[in-house]
Amino acid sequence: MRIAVCMKAVVDSQARIELDGDGNLRQDQLRFEVNEYDLYAVEEAIRLAESDEGHVTVISAGTADAVQGLRKGLAMGAADAIHVDCDPDDLDASGVAAVLAAALHDGGYDLVLAGVESDDLGGSQVGVLLAEALGYASTTLVVGTNEPVDGAMQVRRELEGGEHANVQVQFPAVLTIQSGINEPRYPSLKGIMAAKRKDLAVKGLADLGFDGAPARRVESLGLTIPPPRELARMLEGGAEETAAELVRILREEEKAL
Amino acid sequence: MSRSIWIVAEHQDDNLHTGAAELAGAARSVGDHVAAVVCCEAGSTVPAQAAPFVDQVLVIENAALSGYTAGLWAQGIVGLAKESAPAAILLPHAPLGRDLAPLLAARLDAGLLTDCLELQWEEGLVGLRSVHRRKLVSRERVATPIAIATCQRGAFAASPAGDAAAIETASVAIDDTAARTRLLSMERAEVGEGSITEAEIVVAGGRGLGDAEKFALVQELADAVGGVMGASRPVVDQGWVPHDRQIGSSGVTVRPRLYFALGISGAVQHVVGMRESDVIVAINKDPKAPIFEYAHYGIADDVFKVVPAVIANLNS
Repeated sequence: MRIAVCMKAVVDSQARIELDGDGNLRQDQLRFEVNEYDLYAVEEAIRLAESDEGHVTVISAGTADAVQGLRKGLAMGAADAIHVDCDPDDLDASGVAAVLAAALHDGGYDLVLAGVESDDLGGSQVGVLLAEALGYASTTLVVGTNEPVDGAMQVRRELEGGEHANVQVQFPAVLTIQSGINEPRYPSLKGIMAAKRKDLAVKGLADLGFDGAPARRVESLGLTIPPPRELARMLEGGAEETAAELVRILREEEKAL
Repeated sequence: MSRSIWIVAEHQDDNLHTGAAELAGAARSVGDHVAAVVCCEAGSTVPAQAAPFVDQVLVIENAALSGYTAGLWAQGIVGLAKESAPAAILLPHAPLGRDLAPLLAARLDAGLLTDCLELQWEEGLVGLRSVHRRKLVSRERVATPIAIATCQRGAFAASPAGDAAAIETASVAIDDTAARTRLLSMERAEVGEGSITEAEIVVAGGRGLGDAEKFALVQELADAVGGVMGASRPVVDQGWVPHDRQIGSSGVTVRPRLYFALGISGAVQHVVGMRESDVIVAINKDPKAPIFEYAHYGIADDVFKVVPAVIANLNS
């Protein structure tokens, strides 16, 4: 089985988020990390490949910040990597899907896995758009996979309130992977060393047949800092005092106990 | 010229999801004609349930549409949208919309805005989206003739029920052999005693509790106040508690009289499931945790010091 996994470098959760005078995100203070959902996707791909001597390729579209994620994917056990070198600020979700599809379309993949969404922009659409661009089937919010049978796989989709749907998906297919499906492994030292020797191909948009970035379907009208919300009434003092005050308020003022 | 906005009706077991009224409200905020598209089998009562909230109900009937199958629902809605060209199609930012909206966008060459908190019309559909872990709001506009958007649950006021709209059955052919995904079965949530959505008091814990053993403190407080235990997503992902206890997106939405958030940071995925509670108490070591922006009462201290003291106080 040949599996590709899409990875994204997202703005680090601890990074300082500030706007410059023109309302643009200040780039100088940004740090990047691998999108957490994508690590679940990499882990699932490696497990599926291990069971049938498959091949896992990790792919990321972005600037040089994308490379650290790909290296991590390789260190976890992927066989090779593709870095589509581009500025993600030039692309909307449909553009990202188009460039990923161009890089993957002749790879003969049975499955493409992606995280359900990105931690920073939360678009939750590239996976399915990619499936459509490749002409693959798709299903989303996957929390369980099964061994493939006759070119199809039964997967478990997470719905709301503890409900799940069991869905049969024909290959080739894109699955978006939800957190909790597995426990992503930490790369071993051996894995990290091996990753340095693995193939990491770099492709520009021109190499993929694009004359500039694909046309946008969604345009940005700007970023703003949301007005601060009113804070809770904070109870001060030691644990004994705050606990007693809380119980008094809930009983006497709110009559909630 | 009137601007027509479609909503895709979410339903299960012949019951319209309560979120449909919110979606109709979202559609009214940007359009002057609102139609609900219902994919269902013949004889379903879902179209009649949707009728009071909209101006028109468009029914796509086929035996193969009784359960949700992405490809078949998309076939029907895309076929109808190509004929009638609505200005926008709205879906819930929930398992249905997260699966179906990008399919519709791809097949209608349409731009898609996901998880919108507010919609506007400014030479096209404009959506406000929360990005960078709620630190920023992004305004984005769809630049294609048809716009698709998914709306965050609870972000839009529900459209009030009015006179029932006309129900029209659309003639769209569905080729059920074309589906490459197929719904095999549904696993229902166990609804039993201590159902979290019915509880008057909910005590929820988060990753801040540390591990499965220490998480028992959440149940202890729940017992002491006569409430039901709940959890945030990371706790469920770690397997400390079963999935039916998860509160927030992909879990349940609760509106109890009293809600305790213990060691919960307040990620948007959790907050959407509890922010409508009458009284919210948050206890978290980190005074900067976003949960304090949603709580009515906050204690920025160690859960393991405060909660036992609360229990002792209740028992004294």
